[in-house]
Amino acid sequence: MDKKFSTNALHFIDRVDGVQKVTGAAKYSAEYDFPGLVYAVLTGSTIAKGSIVDMDTKAAENAPGVLAVVTHLNSPELPGYKKTAIQANVPETKRGYHVFTDNIIRFNGQPVALTIANTYERAVYAASLVKTKYKEEEHQTDLDAAIKNGKALEGNPYKDYVRGEPDAWKNSEVKIEAEYRMPLEVHNPMEIHAITVVWEGEEKVTVYEKTQTLKTTQQNIMRAFGLKEENVRVITQFVGGAFGSAFNTWPHSMAALIGARKIGKPLKLMLARSQMFTLVGYRPQAIQKINMGATKDGKLTGITHEATAMTSSYQEFTEGIVNASRSLYTCPNVTTRYKVYPLDLSQPTWMRGPGETTGAYALESAMDELADALHLDPIEFRLRNYAETDLENNKPYSSKFLKEAYQLGAEKIKWQDRNPEPRSMKEGDWMIGYGTGTGTFGAWRGDAKVAARLLPDGTLILQSGVTDMGPGTATAMTKLASDIFGISPRNIKFEMGDSNLPPGPFQGGSGTTSSLGTAVHNVCVNMKKKLADLIKDNSIFHTEIVHTVKPEDLLFEDGYMILASDHSKKISYGDALKDAGMKQLELLESSDGNPMNGYSAFSYAVHFVKLMVHAATGVIKIARVVSAVDAGKIVNESTAESQIIGAVVGGIGMSLMEEGVVDHRYGRWVNNNFADYHVAVQADVPHIEVLFVNKPDPILNPIGSKGMGEVGLVGFAAAVSNAVYHATGKRIRELPITPDKLI
Amino acid sequence: MSKEKIIHCKNDSCLHEGRRDFLKKSSALAALAVASPAILKAAEDDEKIAAWFEKIPLQIEVNGIAHNLNVEPRVTLLDFLREYLHLTGTKKGCDHGQCGACTVHADGKRINSCLSLAVMNEGKKITTIEGIAKGDKLHPMQEAFIRHDGFQCGYCTPGQIMSAIACIKEGHANNEDEVREFMSGNICRCGAYPNIADAIIEVKNGGYEL
Amino acid sequence: MINFEYTRVSSVKAAIDVLAKNPTGSFIAGGTNLIDLMKRGVTAPSRLIDINNLPLKQIEETKTGLSIGALVINSDVEENDIVQKKYPLLAMALKAGASAQLRNMATVGGNIMQRTRCTYFHDTAMPCNKREPGSGCGALQGYNRMHAIFGASDKCIAVHPSDMCIALAALDATVHISGPKGERKILFTNFHRLPGDTPGKDNTLLKGEIIAGVTIPENNFIKNIYYLKIRDRASYAFALVSVAAALELSGETVKNVRLAMGGVAHKPWRLTEAEKFLTGKRVSKETFIQAAEIAMKGAKAYGHNNFKLKMAPAAIVEALMKAAG
Repeated sequence: MDKKFSTNALHFIDRVDGVQKVTGAAKYSAEYDFPGLVYAVLTGSTIAKGSIVDMDTKAAENAPGVLAVVTHLNSPELPGYKKTAIQANVPETKRGYHVFTDNIIRFNGQPVALTIANTYERAVYAASLVKTKYKEEEHQTDLDAAIKNGKALEGNPYKDYVRGEPDAWKNSEVKIEAEYRMPLEVHNPMEIHAITVVWEGEEKVTVYEKTQTLKTTQQNIMRAFGLKEENVRVITQFVGGAFGSAFNTWPHSMAALIGARKIGKPLKLMLARSQMFTLVGYRPQAIQKINMGATKDGKLTGITHEATAMTSSYQEFTEGIVNASRSLYTCPNVTTRYKVYPLDLSQPTWMRGPGETTGAYALESAMDELADALHLDPIEFRLRNYAETDLENNKPYSSKFLKEAYQLGAEKIKWQDRNPEPRSMKEGDWMIGYGTGTGTFGAWRGDAKVAARLLPDGTLILQSGVTDMGPGTATAMTKLASDIFGISPRNIKFEMGDSNLPPGPFQGGSGTTSSLGTAVHNVCVNMKKKLADLIKDNSIFHTEIVHTVKPEDLLFEDGYMILASDHSKKISYGDALKDAGMKQLELLESSDGNPMNGYSAFSYAVHFVKLMVHAATGVIKIARVVSAVDAGKIVNESTAESQIIGAVVGGIGMSLMEEGVVDHRYGRWVNNNFADYHVAVQADVPHIEVLFVNKPDPILNPIGSKGMGEVGLVGFAAAVSNAVYHATGKRIRELPITPDKLI
Repeated sequence: MSKEKIIHCKNDSCLHEGRRDFLKKSSALAALAVASPAILKAAEDDEKIAAWFEKIPLQIEVNGIAHNLNVEPRVTLLDFLREYLHLTGTKKGCDHGQCGACTVHADGKRINSCLSLAVMNEGKKITTIEGIAKGDKLHPMQEAFIRHDGFQCGYCTPGQIMSAIACIKEGHANNEDEVREFMSGNICRCGAYPNIADAIIEVKNGGYEL
Repeated sequence: MINFEYTRVSSVKAAIDVLAKNPTGSFIAGGTNLIDLMKRGVTAPSRLIDINNLPLKQIEETKTGLSIGALVINSDVEENDIVQKKYPLLAMALKAGASAQLRNMATVGGNIMQRTRCTYFHDTAMPCNKREPGSGCGALQGYNRMHAIFGASDKCIAVHPSDMCIALAALDATVHISGPKGERKILFTNFHRLPGDTPGKDNTLLKGEIIAGVTIPENNFIKNIYYLKIRDRASYAFALVSVAAALELSGETVKNVRLAMGGVAHKPWRLTEAEKFLTGKRVSKETFIQAAEIAMKGAKAYGHNNFKLKMAPAAIVEALMKAAG
């Protein structure tokens, strides 16, 4: 590539699916064509709570080209929906919501009808003819109002955590109290969620579904429709971004399955962008209070972190908003409280850096506030409270190079050269601010299987049922296999995106590379052993000393087994197969989940932001970003760097512009589109410098990689918020920081 | 619904019987048909005739291939490309001109195909992402996007590339700030912006023939 | 959307005739606003009359100024040599609008005709007097961050969304109109209207009429101009507040000045009182602040847009400072 990695070209390979993506050949879920394919359009409710009292679908059914209009009135009862839907002993907030099973409206935009026609245009038009009459009930979509008048959920996730003395911050020498607010945030991947369904009879189905998890999707469909595993195939060759929105098998996908089976034709459903705000989850709104105290010399003495968030009325959703406050810093007394209120909104879900991102915004802003109160450099303050062990569980870290990350980043951005005094730095009409924030995200490793097949032409085919929403999983695995197995990446084919393949991990939670990489590692190592076994008596290697070759006698390089003691003696992998008369060499290996006994594992990111605030208009421009990351060993540097850059761009959106707005009078979204819900555009984004500590984690997995998809976002919003304070002297405790808040 | 005669085709004088009149009849027929499969079948046949009336002729060139066909006026250029010509490289990201994923060139100019009707492009030359490589030889911009890792999920990529080529041809790629401003009509949620800008600057400076 | 009928016309007369016969029809040029609204179900013309072939695509210098045909696309105006040299405020405003792609589609006439971006207007499940007279104004007590602070009524507080129009209003442009009864022209500042009791009407174009073009009188606003647009992101977003400022200076003295604001009213908001105040005054920040105070008289906010009462005067001062150099 270019300047960034010019030192050693072997540190990365270009994306293996790059050509498909730049030529338009890559197929996403709405891009499969079948004879007789029909189109479906989903109509959403226009009230937030109540029930459907009447539906008139006649005009729609009689419109040109219409095959069916599916509603709760004519949707078949599914075996998997019968049992769970109406269990009296299950609390309402855990019953879930099953599309078209009843006339109850739980949120504005809830699917009420699926209109199917032979062209897209006809389906859209006919859907507009569906008339629904509602009986409205009083709804609650306002978290503040729910806190005042409503009742929080109860249960295990909401038990207070107390370490040491409860609320010890009160007795600290120096202390701060602050409340931070974060609005609804929506994933909004560029690919609108879509599904193409092809039934063969009523008992067998293939779906082309936008998903981060083939296996769960397959199981969800099996369960709902009562089908056998071998009769449900999920294919996801490409995912056009997701960031957490594609873990669930959402109601619209079930609606498409129901509709397609009803009419017996292949069917395609692509949501509208507006439906991306209500039907595929979002990051829940959160109000957080952090009270924090330290000794005069900057030793933390107490942290109390209280978070209040929301979920839907029908499905409990919790995430670890307050968790990082328990372990990121050495503090003897920590109290965390977490409350969740059910609202008449659609279900929230995991979104990039779930929980941690929300929590780190508050924690890392508060750290800055306390550092300011202590007249301490924010980095120095963090270093004085550096955690060498995880105090939440008294475990050592599998690896922790956060100190190195602080150092790398601070040096790069010349942190020490800034004037630490708020509102002290100016360039023309612009006030200059520097800020930092630390992010942490749990590292782990899950189950994954990889099948390998070596062919006599030297090609290695790797297969795993994983999907890729963009990080470049196939690329990273190809690079990894190339390094371990000692062949050119050009001779490796990584096949994925099909539930018929050996089950891979889900993609997300920063665990794909760790889980799948372990399986790839194992399959490559064992394949080498098998290869060595094939040639152990091969005469090529006979020397006076060596008669039988063992794997440890060999180098595996460039597709050759080479005798370490005499490089002139070698055989290609393909020839080894041919000599043994084999058509291929096959192997199936797996990664076993949870190897972390006795250790605590995290990735870390330290973000440094330089920004400019226009004194007169309050406009903010991010001028420079340096993100230093400890994610263990980096498998493929270019795509790894891109992932951090991407997370930072998401962070720019989160801190400066993203805000989901609901008009609580109607319980309805008012900015459910890309013109009103702003995400960062090209002009908002400066050069983003990514630095990797790049030291392997010795515990987590054999490849030493800890994961990085989430951590690049965690702590970033705090860095921006802290930089805004440094620039202006104003502490804005509510995201996003739009110009109106600074004027 | 009006009863006026329809005027269409390429000049102002080509007349047809009012489609709406026709549809009024056929939907009345369909309304009668609630329970009878036989009449339903008849309505279906009518539907085919109706479809013929609903469409108007369109001559359009896409990636060098001339198409002569009939299309409903309400079909957008984007849906026409994706659903009728099966050129799915052009993406639907918002359908409202708010993201740029559907960017194509119409007579050399970059436009959002989601906000243009196919019939409004009568006689035009459309170029999509499928039409810029020469056989197996990628377009320099495609190569640069790969080299600079100017994408992750790849969904906005065709729109970015079409926009990027136009950005240089328009003369709006003279420096990084200009590229950033003139590429702001293409949203990338994966956040590949810096790499995209690098790719464009490199192609601009490379003196390639675009 | 309904499968409307579609007609291509190639003369202004044919366009007017076809529309006369199809009162529920609509002209379509770039389509960037109309197709958007049709997809949302906000509007459903029975017939689209495609006017892209009309001969209204010229940009010409006349004896008295500049003439721009209604069908010139925004990017062609922005890039035009004469516009860049002699009417740079217009070029700057155009560049601040939408995206490169949309500017390649949207026409001058369509830009003038574009409808509000009010979210309640866009969502057919919400009340909106503009879309559905009598249904109420959702924004009045709703999410009105983007909404008007000048000239609103209790029926509608929507704002006009164009950038181009703000510059044209500032530059004393004239809209040229053709209709069944012949041609007429109207001052740009009188073209758009305030909502009053009939917010359904954005402007004073009569039924059956078509915009043929705009003219801008010759001026000396060349060196000291600025179009300031404050928005929630750096590009591709509608204005929170925008200011078109044009100064003609004689040494340090304001000889002539034009000021108009966007994002604050149902029409481009010309600041005539502030202009009067500034004329003949020496250039200084203090003077500009006084002018901004004058401009803000009568401003009223509705909750979420309270910030505009501070942002608007700050923007006026900043735009004038930038224009003054």
